[in-house]
Amino acid sequence: MGIALQLLFTGLGVGSIYALVALGFVLIYRATNVVNFAQGDFAMLGAFAMVVLCIDLGIPYGVGIAITIVAMAVIGALFNLGVYYPLRHRSFLPVIISTIGASILLENGVLAAYGPRPQSLPGMFETQGFSVGPVFFDSQYLLIVGVGILLFGLQYLFFEHTILGKKMQATSQDKEMASLLGIPVATMIMLTFVYSAMLGGIAGILVAPILFVSVSMGSSIALKAFAASIIGGFGDVRGAIVGGLALGVVETFGAAYISVPYKDAFAFLVLFFFLLVRPQGIFGEKISEKA
Amino acid sequence: MSGAPAPATVVATLAARRERRGWILFAIAAIATLALPLAVPLQAYHLNILMQASTYAIAVFGLTIVLGYAGQINLAQAAFFGIGAYSVALGTATYAMSFWVALAIGTAVAAVAGAALGLTSLRLGGHYLAMVTISFQTILSLVLANWVSFTRGPDGVTGIQRPSILGHPIADSSHYLVLCIVALYIVGYLVWRLGHSRLGRSMQAVRDNELAAGVVGVNAYATKVIAFTLSAVLGGFGGGLFAGGFAYVSPDQFSFNESVVFLTMALLGGVRSPFGAALGTALLILLPESLRFLKAVYLAVYGCAVILIMVFMPEGIWGWFSALKRRLRPVQPVVNDAAPPLPLTSRTAQAGDAVLLEVKTLSKHFGGLKAVDQVSFTVRANTVHALIGPNGSGKTTLLNVLSGIYVPTGGEMIFEHRPITRLKPHERAANGIGRTFQNIRLFTAMSVIDNVIVGAQRHGNEVEGGDAGRRDLALAALGFVGLASRALDSVQGLSYGHQRLVEIARALAGNPRMLLLDEPGAGLNHHEKQELVGLLKRLRGHGLTIFIIDHDMNLVEQLADHITVLNFGRRIADGAPAEVLRHPEVIKAYLGEEAHRAVA
Amino acid sequence: MGFHSRGFRTALVAVLVAAGSMLASAADMLKIGVVAPQTGPGAESGRFQVQGAKLAADEINKAGGVLGRQIELVIEDDQTTNPGAVLAFSKLAGDKDIPAFIGSIRSTQVHAMAPDILKTGKPVMIGGTDPQLTHMGNSWLFRCRPNDTYSARVISDFGVNTLKLRKWAIVHSTDAFGTNGMKNLAEALKKQGIEPVLVQGYTNNSQDFTPVALAVKQSGADVMGTYMTFEPDQGIFAKQLRQLGVKTGWVGSPTTVTTTALKLAGPALYGSYAVVDFNRDSSPEAKAFAAKYEAAYKSAPDIFASWAYDAVHVLALAINNAKSTDPKAIREAILAVKGYKGAEGTYNFDQNGDGLHGYNIVKNDEGKIVFDKHIDFPD
Repeated sequence: MGIALQLLFTGLGVGSIYALVALGFVLIYRATNVVNFAQGDFAMLGAFAMVVLCIDLGIPYGVGIAITIVAMAVIGALFNLGVYYPLRHRSFLPVIISTIGASILLENGVLAAYGPRPQSLPGMFETQGFSVGPVFFDSQYLLIVGVGILLFGLQYLFFEHTILGKKMQATSQDKEMASLLGIPVATMIMLTFVYSAMLGGIAGILVAPILFVSVSMGSSIALKAFAASIIGGFGDVRGAIVGGLALGVVETFGAAYISVPYKDAFAFLVLFFFLLVRPQGIFGEKISEKA
Repeated sequence: MSGAPAPATVVATLAARRERRGWILFAIAAIATLALPLAVPLQAYHLNILMQASTYAIAVFGLTIVLGYAGQINLAQAAFFGIGAYSVALGTATYAMSFWVALAIGTAVAAVAGAALGLTSLRLGGHYLAMVTISFQTILSLVLANWVSFTRGPDGVTGIQRPSILGHPIADSSHYLVLCIVALYIVGYLVWRLGHSRLGRSMQAVRDNELAAGVVGVNAYATKVIAFTLSAVLGGFGGGLFAGGFAYVSPDQFSFNESVVFLTMALLGGVRSPFGAALGTALLILLPESLRFLKAVYLAVYGCAVILIMVFMPEGIWGWFSALKRRLRPVQPVVNDAAPPLPLTSRTAQAGDAVLLEVKTLSKHFGGLKAVDQVSFTVRANTVHALIGPNGSGKTTLLNVLSGIYVPTGGEMIFEHRPITRLKPHERAANGIGRTFQNIRLFTAMSVIDNVIVGAQRHGNEVEGGDAGRRDLALAALGFVGLASRALDSVQGLSYGHQRLVEIARALAGNPRMLLLDEPGAGLNHHEKQELVGLLKRLRGHGLTIFIIDHDMNLVEQLADHITVLNFGRRIADGAPAEVLRHPEVIKAYLGEEAHRAVA
Repeated sequence: MGFHSRGFRTALVAVLVAAGSMLASAADMLKIGVVAPQTGPGAESGRFQVQGAKLAADEINKAGGVLGRQIELVIEDDQTTNPGAVLAFSKLAGDKDIPAFIGSIRSTQVHAMAPDILKTGKPVMIGGTDPQLTHMGNSWLFRCRPNDTYSARVISDFGVNTLKLRKWAIVHSTDAFGTNGMKNLAEALKKQGIEPVLVQGYTNNSQDFTPVALAVKQSGADVMGTYMTFEPDQGIFAKQLRQLGVKTGWVGSPTTVTTTALKLAGPALYGSYAVVDFNRDSSPEAKAFAAKYEAAYKSAPDIFASWAYDAVHVLALAINNAKSTDPKAIREAILAVKGYKGAEGTYNFDQNGDGLHGYNIVKNDEGKIVFDKHIDFPD
């Protein structure tokens, strides 16, 4: 029982990492109908920025976080201008490939600049966590869950109760209609990228103390997060959260009770299952193309 | 067709000349590269690099098919490559099979894996396909590394044997290289031929516009699965040859990163042509050699290059040069405008009011929205039947149900006494239902004539003389709409009105019994509209049944023999034009409540 | 042909005279091919390898060279991939003036190059530690690091005989390094009459090790032998293991005590032991090498540098002893090297081509690496 509880806690912790990154996927997908394969690398960039600022330059943690988030906003804007904007009138395929290229560029750019040695970033708390009975609660996982809930809440308020949020939502639902209503569509998409990059950066800052900071940290999370968002229902915010958490739990239990080396396969097997049986995911609506 | 008039001959000669020139260049290149390893004693280094390039290029040809022709992404080409490589490796090293048997097994396993993957995910396409192929890639890598008892695990497989031909072992690397190059040229030729074949055209049609491809009779799903399977086959075949060449394989050679490398090779060279694939492969294998000075940055440059290619050279280097060539030497218009006659025109209108299409209580709901609600009507043969109604009344939805794009929520459709309610769009096309779209849906990357040939090659449209016959038929359809002279142009260069006519010609080339037209007059000027009316009248004169949606009452009144009116998804009137247009409900729907009162 | 014209020849002579002995000796250089990663993920380790090799070459050249000739290293990039390694080696092998090579530290790359090495028929000094490499009938591979049977034997010998612990758990990565390490360790323990209570593999870059840590906890093991390839994996595992209150002893592969591993895992790895082939405190030769390396490159050397340094020295010694650059003669001479004290240890080549037969044991003492002992085996 103790073991199962421990696995459940860890699974939810890992799952909330997936959910955070999946959220970024979903937002960009809703705004542009394109999957950003470099979403995980936003997390990697955020984590490296923290290492440079707080470890190498010795800037206080809080200031470092603020600078990192601003830097991620700038990167999101540049990403939009360089990777998405020139291709916005083309089909999704060139854009996907372009984001894959961006992912290679970001990872190897950081590799060239910083070298392959993984770095560590201390957590925000002095203690690593606490035990309740047989279960150890890692403080960083608790923080991730907390920040995750906070972000989802803020995001809900933003999209449902502010003018800007509503404009962004209108853009994601129907670009033509939005532009007829006088909403500056290009600006809204730009803001979506900025926000997604910031979200990715925050995910990176949060997971760095657990996973350490390495060039490839983002891409492996991103694949799972992508799978999670499909399982949850692509383009659905609730789906990203539920899919992420479910995947984390399935994976952790699968590793513990079936096979550790094949851990990565469980996520993808669940994905295959969903694609066969319920391709629209848990929350998604039936897929059909407009004529 | 005997005594085919000039344009057909011109088109045929042009194609033949292009083909002959291609052949000569191809033969020169083939002989030159084949002679190289035999005539010049190459160092092991050069042998290895050529062996890698030629086997990789075969796998990249697979991407030409799936990505270039069919427009579907495949991020698991390294996995298929690995399946082929491991089959040859384990087959020859563990099970002492002959190289050829092992290679055949590898190719077959890759084919089965590709087909299974395609069958499960190609209905969804797009991002799902990207994700599924990545998943497959990941799982294969895990299996290769972890199933130690079978794959020998992460150590990899050593002692891979090379084949023998007629009892002569090909142990020497330069001889093996000749084998690889021969395979490269044969596969390259076949892939190139495929691009100009019936199947290849279907793939390109699916790539350019899947919906339109279905409506003109292409089974989009089957075409995509075939493309994906062929791509996997070439991946497996290339991988098998690779294993024989290097005599050692290990799981890390077939990782996701390698799939990205294959993809980049295809994109850089030009994904729509096997020549581009070969060029891209050669460049990316040779490039690292010359990019050494970039040291650790070179993979970053690689990523940057992918973005730049997508932005500035979406069709790759080969595509860029082809475009340049087209710009420097624009297509000559086909001079003589006397096109061969369209078979349709040998028919004449038959009097009588046989029922062609019967629609019974047809409904289409989207969630709570009843876009089409219990609509019934009958379309008689050899008439122009118009469907009108205010904006949002469900006309286009109804047309989409008729052509099979939407599955109806209820009701049934009977065409020529056969139920078609459950048929897919391409099956309806095969039954003789053609259509056009309100927002024109052409195959934008194909030439005018190729667009129309896709229409001509629908299932059930018997054409004598194979491809040549279909070309004549397409030209006849173009001649009928008055565009034979533009046959070789790119469709993107045509005016809006002409694009519309190409779409009609594409439908006509399929010899339909009934033509569904979705607002054919939209966006045309007065002159073009009158030409359209003339064209449609001629078609009716030849016995074609036309079902038309349009807003332009003037156009409808000129053409329609029968009118059905929809409002809020329901049929509010049905009958001869004169009485329908006087119907109070219709006037109310069009002019609003007050206008109706004013008239009354 | 212009090259044979009198004018050209006169000019050539003039240039030769002007360049003097420098050019003459350049033509007389003894070339050694080096396959090293200069691009890709292994680029940094490749830099260490090349610097280690260069340091040795400079020393030899200052001392008069080999057979009176100066050594020149010809470096080819293997791109950190197997096909890249094959291309790099075959490119070097095309140069008939190169009598011997320094190969890769990665076992799979040596495997990939092996067919070409066999065809070339010239000695290649390697650093890959897969025992198979020198036991598969390829007589041109010479290893300048102890192979993994020795790391496994040293781990089990130290754990069982020094720490006196007998309930073993083995945790390993499922890549080539980890899987082979696990097999060898299980075999070495078997010889001590011990069956491990847990053998647990995991895939590289796992983001969470709770299931592995729980498995170790449940197994009740009192000591753990590990072969973990990547430091982040090791760091996450160590932290989660300690969080779950598991206090088993730990004797790990060399990756357990790399600088990065110490930095990432922090206190979670305190008190653990590891085998390493290079440790600066293990011998006077190691100390001297470390000092020279630091003087030359302003950074501390590691295993990627030390084996390459030794490899060049062993090769030079063998060529000098053979008094010839004939590959067969060099091969015989390498196999005859006995008692050569290098930075990694004392080289006694056996007939398989393995030069070293033991490992150093070091302890992580509150984050400092302390040399504990050196264990050598006669066979």
